[in-house]
Amino acid sequence: MNGQRSVRVILLAPAPIALAVFVFGMSFGVLAVAARLPAWSIVLMSVLVFAGSAQFAALGVIAAGGSVLTAIFAGALLNLRFVATGIAVAPSLPGGRLLRSVLAQLSIDESYAMSARAGPPGRPDGRTLLVTGALLYSAWVIGTSIGALLGPVLGDPKRLGLDAAFPAGFVALLWPMLSGRHAVRCAIGGLLAALLLAPFTPPGIPLAGAAVIGLWLAR
Amino acid sequence: MAGPLALGLVLGLASLSFVMRATGALLPNLPPAITTRTSGLAPALLAALVAIQLTGANGLLHLDVKVPAVVVAAGLAALRAPFIVCVIAGAVVAALLRAVFHL
Repeated sequence: MNGQRSVRVILLAPAPIALAVFVFGMSFGVLAVAARLPAWSIVLMSVLVFAGSAQFAALGVIAAGGSVLTAIFAGALLNLRFVATGIAVAPSLPGGRLLRSVLAQLSIDESYAMSARAGPPGRPDGRTLLVTGALLYSAWVIGTSIGALLGPVLGDPKRLGLDAAFPAGFVALLWPMLSGRHAVRCAIGGLLAALLLAPFTPPGIPLAGAAVIGLWLAR
Repeated sequence: MAGPLALGLVLGLASLSFVMRATGALLPNLPPAITTRTSGLAPALLAALVAIQLTGANGLLHLDVKVPAVVVAAGLAALRAPFIVCVIAGAVVAALLRAVFHL
C-alpha cells in the first residue's frame, strides 16, 4: 500500500481543484486592482502568502477603507489554522527543520486534504502534499497575474457590483466550513461578536473579538 | 495604495503566514490542545468579515444592495455552487439592483 505514488497519478486527482484555484486567483487579482493595489504587489502577495481566504480577508479590509495593520491582522488570524496543518504534515516532509519549514509553505486547505486522504490515518502523505501543493501554487500565481492584468480593463468597480463581491466571497468561503456543530457555533459567535463590537470600537477590534470567540467556542 | 504601504501589507502578511506554516517543522511538540482550538478561527472570522462588510461607517448594519448579494451568494453556496459562481452572482445582483433602482 505504501509504494510511491507516481507523480502523474498524484497530479491527475487535483486537476479540477487546480482549475478552481486558478479562477479563484483570477477573481482575487481583479478585485485587488479594484481596491487600488499596485499590480506588482498583488502578484507578490500571491507568490509569498499563497492563501486564498487570508488574502481575500486582507483585501476586504483594504477595500472597505481599513488600515494596513488591520488587514494584516485579519489575514494572519485566518492563517492561524495552518499552525495545526503544519504540525500534522511536518513528520511526512523530507529534510531538516529548515527545508521542512520551506516545504510546509505548500500546505493550503486543498493540498492538505488530498495528502491526508492519500496517507494512513494521522500520517499525511508528504509526496502528495508537495506535488499537489506545487500544482495549486502555480495555478494560484498564474491566475492572480491574469486577474491583475484583466482588472484595469473592467471599469468602475462599484457599477460592476465588485464591492458586493467581498461579502459574497466570504459567505462562499464560510459555507463549506459549516460542517459540524462546533463550526456553526463558532460562526454564529463570530458574527454576533463583530456586530456587537462594530458600533463602539475602532476597525480591527470586532475581528479580534470574533477570533477570541472562535478560539473559545472551538472544542 | 502607495507602493511602500502595499509592500508593507504584503511582507507583513507573508512573514506571519510563513511562521505559522513553519511552526510544525520548528516546534514539533506543541500540545494538541492549542492546535485544535485554531479550527474555530476560520469560521468565526469569515462570519465576522461578512458582518463587517455589511455595516456602514457608523458600525451599524447598513441595508443596501450588499445584503441581497450576500443572501444570493449564501443560497448558491448552500447548493454547492463553485466559489466563483457565488462571487459573480453576488456582484451581478448588486450591479443590477444599482442600475435598476439607481441606488
